[in-house]
Amino acid sequence: MNYSLLPFHSKRIGLVLCIALSAILLSVSQGELKTWQEISWLDIIGEGGVAVLTLVWLFFLFVSRPPGRVTDMLVLGLSCFMFSALLDLLDEFIRQSSGHWLSVVESIPAPFGMIMMTWALYQWHQEQLTLNEQLRRREAQSRQHHQVDWVTRLYDADYLRENLAKQLQASHSLSVLMLDIDNFDQFNRRYGSQEGDRLLREMSELILMNIRQSDLVCRYAGDRFIILLPDTPRATAITLSAQIKESIRHFAFKTFGTGEAVFHTLSSALVSAVNTDQVEPLLQRLNRQLELSRQGS
Amino acid sequence: MKAYATLEDKYFPAQQLAASLIDLAANRGVDRNKLLRGTGIFYEDIRAGTVLLSAAQMLRLMANARQLMPGKDAAFQLGRRLFPGSYSQAANLLLHSQNLRDAFRLFSLVKMQLFPFVQARLFNHEQQCFLLLDDAIGCGNEFQFVIETYCAALVSASRLLLGQRIPFCFDFPFPRPRYIQEFEENLGYRLRFSQPLLCIRFDQEYWLKTFPQASQTLKWHALEQLYSTARSPRLGFLEVIRQTLLHNKSTNLQDMADTLAISAATLKRRLKQHGTSFMQLQDDVNRQQALYLLHVKGLNNEDIAAQMAFNDIPNFRRAFKRWTGSTPSQARLSWKLIDFSG
Repeated sequence: MNYSLLPFHSKRIGLVLCIALSAILLSVSQGELKTWQEISWLDIIGEGGVAVLTLVWLFFLFVSRPPGRVTDMLVLGLSCFMFSALLDLLDEFIRQSSGHWLSVVESIPAPFGMIMMTWALYQWHQEQLTLNEQLRRREAQSRQHHQVDWVTRLYDADYLRENLAKQLQASHSLSVLMLDIDNFDQFNRRYGSQEGDRLLREMSELILMNIRQSDLVCRYAGDRFIILLPDTPRATAITLSAQIKESIRHFAFKTFGTGEAVFHTLSSALVSAVNTDQVEPLLQRLNRQLELSRQGS
Repeated sequence: MKAYATLEDKYFPAQQLAASLIDLAANRGVDRNKLLRGTGIFYEDIRAGTVLLSAAQMLRLMANARQLMPGKDAAFQLGRRLFPGSYSQAANLLLHSQNLRDAFRLFSLVKMQLFPFVQARLFNHEQQCFLLLDDAIGCGNEFQFVIETYCAALVSASRLLLGQRIPFCFDFPFPRPRYIQEFEENLGYRLRFSQPLLCIRFDQEYWLKTFPQASQTLKWHALEQLYSTARSPRLGFLEVIRQTLLHNKSTNLQDMADTLAISAATLKRRLKQHGTSFMQLQDDVNRQQALYLLHVKGLNNEDIAAQMAFNDIPNFRRAFKRWTGSTPSQARLSWKLIDFSG
């Protein structure tokens, strides 16, 4: 697990701890301990479980979300809920005189917390829509984080195959474009593979900028990218491919250290799918075409 | 010093293979402590560049890397980095070799320092070279990883040395993997899977084609340097046994133990440590020879039986069935069904 977001939440974590502590102090100061016979362990397991689980949720919130409005609201809502759950749990150990003001206080924060969380979840939904928009062209209709390539943060070949299979059924004139960086091996040998990885990353950004909202780009293998162009006639696909190649040709990659500018060109292959096409034969055709175009150049 | 290295012998310098793999994993965001867990390798030792590792340690490191590294290209990336790598003496020697034949000869001298896991034997037949690969040291579950690394290293090193891509054809015994794109990207498109023999094929013209940077003087210089420094064993444990068996088919367990100057019980125990048995190695060697004679040379049963010193055909057919699971005629038929165009 990655805990890099935790340090940003020190204030919020402090707040959660304060709320938990205040619940304990309130309860202890206002009542007296029960005897062993009076304690119902079944209740403790049930109510204790709720309290512990809210703490676990808060933990996951802290490690997965950067600070922000939605995060604040989620934390506050969950904290209110936890406050009630803790008081409820402490009730099992500590007796309050009946009709004590604390038992009234106990039930108020929970519904407030629930309402706040509901509002926060709606905001989260809005946020997600914005993020989806940001992810456009990197992602089709499904989200599979285990299929994201580590280097470029694009989806990998498995995701591509699944989406290609779907598109082959859905799209009428699907074009599939394969791009390959020329002399990438040489670059890697000269500048090291860490620079090679960075080049791949920056190039994928540039490719993303050059395609349409409906297109999807994936990293196929090594220095090879595949772009799915749904509902695109061949002529349009050729223009698009030329535009991408042109923009890569003008891209001056600055190497680490000397800052020397290195230019690259792409080789490409384009296949227009027909109705009867299957995934693997189509990819094979694409690969073969790329080999041919490289031998030609 | 023993003439061979077992799985647990520490003889091979860490700064090449292990350091490459550790760096590669670090670049992919893998935690170094997790990567080294259970391997008995310490990062400080590797950085100091003094420590020697055993094949078993390296195989455990590979297993960890395979599990922890995102993506399926770890072995291929490692293979690409092996040569020239950090320009060690061993790599320097290969850089100045005359041609592919020379490079293979020199590699057999230094392979225990560079990549001790694979035994490769070369055969020529009708203008084609056949490279048969075997497990030299008991790779177990990591054998496919090792083979992927070896093949990627071969392709990228020969390209570097020769200045052009050699059209290699690969036959792998394992089934076609889902991540076929990595094979194609790194090894090309002449790939066949689920084959009876693990074999690399290429045109003989490349075998003696002179490398552009070849230099006799520099090569001899590198050789002398290499000889003056400490020597490591030349062969892996399984490799030694296979070679002895190839030399003399009738070697039994006791003869083998005598050759290696250990007791028969020790030999048995050691073979078990390497995940195999004497009988299995015998069968392996025979199976490989029979399949080579059958598929590559296209001999008929009588000729194969004669070459392999069988007295009669039924005996040979029975043995063949035991080695490969099918009769010679079935094997011929299934081979013909495979498309050769790939």
